[in-house]
Amino acid sequence: MIEMFQEWYENRHEYAKDWKDKTGGKVLGYFCTYIPEEICLAADILPVRILGSHEPQDVTEPHIFAMYCPFCRDCLAQGLEGKFDYLDGIMIAQSCLHIRQAYTSWDLHVPVDWSYYLPMPNHVQSPRAVPYMVGELKAFKEAIEKWTGKEITDDDLMRGIDIMNRNRQLMKQVYELRKREEPPLNGLESMYMVVSSQMIDKEEHSRVVEGTLKELDNRTLGQPVGTRLMVLGSENDDHEFIDMVESCGSTFVIDDHCTGTRYFWDEVSPDGDPLTAIANRYVNRVPCPSKDWPVRTRVPHILSLAEDWDASGAVILQQKFCDPHELDIPAIKNALEEQGLTTLFLELDVTVPVGQFKTRVEAFLEILQEDDLF
Amino acid sequence: MITTGVDVGARNVKVVIQEDGKVRGKALVLAGLDTEAAIEEALDAAFKDAGLARDEIEKTFATGAGRKEVAGADDSYTEVGADAAGAIHLYPDARTVIDVGAEEGRAIRVDERGKVVDFAINERCAAGAGAFTEAMARALELPLEELGPLSLTSTKAIPMNAQCAVFAESEVVSLIHAKTEKRDIARAVHDAMATRITSMARRVGVVPEVALIGGVARNPGFVDSLQRDLELEVLIPEDPEYVSALGAALLAAGIGK
Amino acid sequence: MADKTKYKTAPLKTWQRAKEIRANYYRNYGTAHEKGGLRWGGGAWSFDAIPAGLGDDVYPITSEPYGATIAFQREFSDQCLEAAEREGYARDLCAYMRNYWGSILLDKYGWVEPGEERKPFPKPDFVWQDHICCSHAKWYQVVSDLEGGLPTYCVDVSVGPYEHLSENGMEYVVGQMHDGIEWLEQTTGRKYDDAKLIEAVYNTCRSTSTWAQICALNQTIPAPLEEKTMYSLYVLGTLQKSSKDVADFYDELLAEVQERVDNQIAAVEYEQARVMTDTQPPWGFLRVFRYLENVYGCVSVGSLYTFSLIGNWIWDDEGRFVPRPTPQSQGIEIKDRDQALHVLAEWELSKPEWQHFYHPKYKSDMMIQIAKDWKLDGVVLHYNRGCEGLSLGIAENRLAILEAGFPVLIFEGNMGDEREFDEARTMARMDSFMESLDIPKLEQ
Repeated sequence: MIEMFQEWYENRHEYAKDWKDKTGGKVLGYFCTYIPEEICLAADILPVRILGSHEPQDVTEPHIFAMYCPFCRDCLAQGLEGKFDYLDGIMIAQSCLHIRQAYTSWDLHVPVDWSYYLPMPNHVQSPRAVPYMVGELKAFKEAIEKWTGKEITDDDLMRGIDIMNRNRQLMKQVYELRKREEPPLNGLESMYMVVSSQMIDKEEHSRVVEGTLKELDNRTLGQPVGTRLMVLGSENDDHEFIDMVESCGSTFVIDDHCTGTRYFWDEVSPDGDPLTAIANRYVNRVPCPSKDWPVRTRVPHILSLAEDWDASGAVILQQKFCDPHELDIPAIKNALEEQGLTTLFLELDVTVPVGQFKTRVEAFLEILQEDDLF
Repeated sequence: MITTGVDVGARNVKVVIQEDGKVRGKALVLAGLDTEAAIEEALDAAFKDAGLARDEIEKTFATGAGRKEVAGADDSYTEVGADAAGAIHLYPDARTVIDVGAEEGRAIRVDERGKVVDFAINERCAAGAGAFTEAMARALELPLEELGPLSLTSTKAIPMNAQCAVFAESEVVSLIHAKTEKRDIARAVHDAMATRITSMARRVGVVPEVALIGGVARNPGFVDSLQRDLELEVLIPEDPEYVSALGAALLAAGIGK
Repeated sequence: MADKTKYKTAPLKTWQRAKEIRANYYRNYGTAHEKGGLRWGGGAWSFDAIPAGLGDDVYPITSEPYGATIAFQREFSDQCLEAAEREGYARDLCAYMRNYWGSILLDKYGWVEPGEERKPFPKPDFVWQDHICCSHAKWYQVVSDLEGGLPTYCVDVSVGPYEHLSENGMEYVVGQMHDGIEWLEQTTGRKYDDAKLIEAVYNTCRSTSTWAQICALNQTIPAPLEEKTMYSLYVLGTLQKSSKDVADFYDELLAEVQERVDNQIAAVEYEQARVMTDTQPPWGFLRVFRYLENVYGCVSVGSLYTFSLIGNWIWDDEGRFVPRPTPQSQGIEIKDRDQALHVLAEWELSKPEWQHFYHPKYKSDMMIQIAKDWKLDGVVLHYNRGCEGLSLGIAENRLAILEAGFPVLIFEGNMGDEREFDEARTMARMDSFMESLDIPKLEQ
């Protein structure tokens, strides 16, 4: 069953088109994981995350200045090249500036029926953030109702919350298994699981995760675990890279990035008013660095992940030109090293020089393996 | 009217002598460290080629990065203006001119009068000039003139990062170590460069007819990749590296203004 | 050769006063503690009116102008940038930040009195910041790390474009401001003075409305001001728009510029072409402006950036882009703290320079209007690698401006990192652009 996730990831467009045909529902493309999917699900919309294709392209230069990250340009290229022409709408929840341009240029140049900019607050550490967010979610809910022509009741919202929470709980269970001395799945397989959940009907995804959990109970990787690694970064669905690292005598056991734990880590606590509960979840979730201030809450979180999953090294991936992560990396690196982890820093583009990176990864693993001996 | 155009490029000095819109003589000399001497040498060679004496020239216009070093030039034009004038003279239907030289790539949009409407120049983080193919040829241990023909024999497309020339060179090294066939790497190199040039050209908008000029137009591998990217055939003059100098000479004669 | 018009020129009388104000500002910050005063660091848009309520002896240093001040001093700037890089901060991060951090790491104050030795960097007592771009709040997170911990408060203003400003958005911003004032009291131990806040809010509105009126006068042909000089004038608003000195200065300057308009006094003697730019200029290479002026008689009349970084504008009922009249001129009288904060928030959220953070179309519309009303021949865009916030959407602005019929030149550079600017190539592009616009060199 575990192969399903990779299949979904590789055939995301076909899946979405099939879903549309079968259900007659609306597909909403989104650019950032801060969007309130619970509300979309309450409206029976399929939210699909817009990701790049890791191929060089030549269509975004007139639209986005090359100093912005390759990822946001890769995302826009998918739109300009018509890969997502089945989308009924697009939306973004405000976080970083770079991906924002993928959204605004898409809005200007790729025909789509509906588009929405949700001003998700950045001062998530302020008590004013939740009330503000609730107001914005109300406005968003109304906009969706207008678009779909259908009212969203509190029951619908609760249903959306339940579906999202269920998927999050299941993914957390999967990740718990990676704490084992012999994790039953590796980083690449986990990556496919999380990233596919961002493109697939959540209930369908949850069913397959449930089935997979049963399989995982007695599963082993079939090769030595090697060095236990953590991967940190922004958005990373670089399967070629993850695969390469895990072929060098290591296994990724945990991560903090937004096609990883940051996506599903926190659930909605369904107390009281559903919109307030949803607002609380998004304001208080593990943050993107652009929202992690003035206190760096990511640091203790990352340290505890590293400890709980017993990682001895961390691969810090940074999308080229990504300012928010660049601002956090020195602090994170120092904190990890103080806790005794060795770190490897790598800068990513949409394609990566796997050969060159392999040399560095091998050297990094050598250091770690020597540490193990002493 | 007999006029001379001198294009002092980053790598070479090109001279064209024209009379009533026809080329009488031309010469190309490596600029080297002593640009002034190279300019003199190129001028002498061009006069000889044309069978003309220096005093038969009525006007001389200079262009290129080193245009200020042409002593005795009556006026100068930037490469953008000179490229447009030269290309439109050769191809009056051209509405987009792409110039890929040793160090710089340019895309120019012109209107029906041949007037420059917009232009773009390849920026930093760009594998969009001849120096890139030269570096790649070295990495593949091939003479530069073999790189293009070899790439045409490839039937396999390998995506290569086209934003950063240094990254791309890294990828070539990886491919070599992975025992990829040289012909396929050669094609990937040209594809990467074409992607870069197309990306830049799209900034000004690619409107047919498209004229391709500059030394790299002689590279059939690059031309093939570019045409595939642009999804059209480009017009390439017989002496693509001389078009800017020709443009300067034409401007000196009041043609193409 | 067509006859060139030769205009009268004259130096600005208020120039000296501008220099004085700026010099005093940096001196006061540096010597704040000597008489028991306080000093704070924050962004140029950090609602400096609010800390003003802590007393008359509270001196700010605003981070972006400070970063630019360092950028002017290219050798010192290189040292600062390298220090920041050694510390592990990437080269593509905002150049102002790296200059600032570098000056902390080297413990050298960016402001140096002529003929004197550079003093150590004066550490702020607290940080009062606003969050506009991804880097803003985190800038001071790093400052705090480097300074061994600083009390920090930051107001998030990202509530969507002004034309859709909701009550919810206002309450979020005003709420944070209220919380911020309590925080200031706790942090400094001082009692907050609402009367001072109210004065400061009036000054903020006056400074920024008046600066806009000054820029509007540049619609005149010949332009009374050129952009390089305007940078030295707008900077005062970025230092402390809430101060009476700055607001008074702009009143004086407005009178002088009006006089220049009345007497046809030009900034550029042989003005024959007009352009506008955008984003911050490459601070170490402002001679690019003089090149255009001296060689081509081409004046840059300003930019949306220069006009509205500290100038406030509004679309009026007839669809014209005009200076925003101050609340006080519209009969609004601020009675208490809450109203002051509402007026301040609403005023600042309407700022034109904030709108493009939500969609490039807001900025494109404004730029196109400026190109029309200031009668421009072309637009020069600085694709500024040093600032992700102000370069946001610039490629789309370019497309929109081209579509509106105005020729556009772009050049890449960096406002604060001189290593990322190719002067020769940029000048060559300027030549190509002037050529394509048929603007002849003056020397002929």
